[in-house]
Amino acid sequence: MTRSFLARTPSVLIFLAALAVFTLAITLLSEGFGAGLISTSFVKTLGKTLCLCLVALAMDLVWGYAGILSLGHMAFFALGGYMIGMWLMYARTEEIVVTALAQGGLPATPEEVQQGIATQIFGVVGSSELPAIWTFAHSLPLQLTLALSVPGLLALVFGWLAFRARVTGVYLSILTQAMTLALALYLFQNDSGLRGNNGLSGLQNLPGLTDTSQDLVSVWFFWASALALGLGYLALAWVVSGKFGSVIRAIRDDEARVRFLGYPVEAYKLFVFTLTALVATLAGVLYYPQAGIINPAELAPIASIYLAVWVAIGGRGRLYGAVIGAGFVSLLSSLFTSGRLPDIPLGPVSIAWVDWWLVILGFSFVAVTLLAPKGIGGLFDRFLHIGTPDRKGAPLGPDDGSLQEQEAQE
Amino acid sequence: MTALLEVSGVSVSFDGFRAINNLSFSIGPAELRAIIGPNGAGKTTFMDIITGKTRPDSGTVTFGPRSISLLGLNEARIAREGIGRKFQRPTVFEDQTVEANLILALKAARSPWKVLFWSPKPADLARVRALANEVGLSGHLQRKSGELSHGQKQWLEIAMLLAQEPRLLLVDEPVAGMTPAERAQTTDLLVNLAQDRAVVVVEHDMDFVRRLDCRVTVLHEGAVLAEGSLDHVTRDPQVVSVYLGRG
Repeated sequence: MTRSFLARTPSVLIFLAALAVFTLAITLLSEGFGAGLISTSFVKTLGKTLCLCLVALAMDLVWGYAGILSLGHMAFFALGGYMIGMWLMYARTEEIVVTALAQGGLPATPEEVQQGIATQIFGVVGSSELPAIWTFAHSLPLQLTLALSVPGLLALVFGWLAFRARVTGVYLSILTQAMTLALALYLFQNDSGLRGNNGLSGLQNLPGLTDTSQDLVSVWFFWASALALGLGYLALAWVVSGKFGSVIRAIRDDEARVRFLGYPVEAYKLFVFTLTALVATLAGVLYYPQAGIINPAELAPIASIYLAVWVAIGGRGRLYGAVIGAGFVSLLSSLFTSGRLPDIPLGPVSIAWVDWWLVILGFSFVAVTLLAPKGIGGLFDRFLHIGTPDRKGAPLGPDDGSLQEQEAQE
Repeated sequence: MTALLEVSGVSVSFDGFRAINNLSFSIGPAELRAIIGPNGAGKTTFMDIITGKTRPDSGTVTFGPRSISLLGLNEARIAREGIGRKFQRPTVFEDQTVEANLILALKAARSPWKVLFWSPKPADLARVRALANEVGLSGHLQRKSGELSHGQKQWLEIAMLLAQEPRLLLVDEPVAGMTPAERAQTTDLLVNLAQDRAVVVVEHDMDFVRRLDCRVTVLHEGAVLAEGSLDHVTRDPQVVSVYLGRG
């Protein structure tokens, strides 16, 4: 504990270096800035994957370190997407409406513009009124503030109610899942003010940059995602490296004992829950402009369950494990569900990867849980020979039994 | 001498079973006290009430020179007031090093923000080394505490309690599973500790209690049956009948 932060956690430097090299390589191969060997849509996929890695980091902190299996963190992710999507959609529609009205000769009044935007955006759900929640959608700084504060506040209030009542374990997981589902069902309604099941679309078009090619925009967002992931990794690694990390791991292992040491366990859980919700939100804010579309299905509980699966496969309780898991599984997932892999004909049945991918994922989750509980990240431990030494056998005696059966024979 | 801890008229029942029945108890600021009693006498429930794990149905519990009421405070708050508890089974954080365990217990600010920006000062590390030395773990600071033997875990937990600097120490069966040598060491330690703080020891083992050489409180069916020196209470006909009657 005496050495400096970076000396204690060499994995941070390795991770940041790997991320930098990866970012540079993709930039040099991209269509926007380099040789054009990687398609723009694949750059977007990679950028989105980096955002998923960031939300997996958050999940690892809340689940792998603090032991709170939240099945609601993708709700914060999607809420962030909705918030930034509102601004993107509003500002972009505003441009279109202003251009259209200018055709008439007379400059449009603000009321006409407002009306035009409302009709454009909400015509699809049969409304022409701008709902109250869109009040700040015209301003990027205001909407960005909302994008972080709304999910943050939701996490704070939800966490406060749940942790204060000492809801733990599987009950807490169910509660978080119920929260996600309730939010999704609410957003599915047409009068929720967020276009019901149509969601928000056209988010890849940045306002004011109509003439800029997506080749460039995709790389910009890729950089932003890489930067956010790098900073997020650094920040979370710092949080878990010191005494705070020690306290939350202790809470994970024996909550009651931590209370008897005088630590306000509920305050720690609330802190971690809210902090990770904010990280998830940030990841969502960067993800959805690359995805281009968001709808309430993104909040479905299954999304948060996938998140838990990524972290479990990558390895809980180590930050790089979460990143590896999210990156590896989500890239494989987009490969298998892209429809580009040829089906394997086996006589009467043929294996279609799009359908079979979920089966493969399910089996690998079970396999990891049973055979390698530490996940892919645990392989690093095996190479570095860290972790619990396998001492074999039972202690030889009750007193200071440092020698155990096998050791004594050697 | 005013009492450090004053428990008076406390009762608690679980589903109609009276675990603690109008119990009163007090201990001074520098006193060693042993609590004995047959199984089901309410010893653990008594400790649960003091540490805030169980809320009594009636009665008062006050602590410290300002006589603050412990009822209504949560476990963490009571621990911060200066009450430490040692469980029967050694509970250390097995996945963390001995050093990390001691640093967790070290008396310092407990709120999340302060802990986030806390870093060990030389004095803290010196204290950790001194504590480890005191319980014979100085060579094991960087080992994961899960690798320690049962006895070493007990000692680590005792060192963690010392690091908390409690004013009242509740110890549940400290010598269970210890060798005779370790028992003697524990006896000395507890007697030593009680010179400047209150120590309550719950124990079954009569020989151990005799070696502690302190006032003894006998609990039976949730109430105090007798109190005094060990010789005094063992001569008490009621105590004899309770112990003999139960075999």
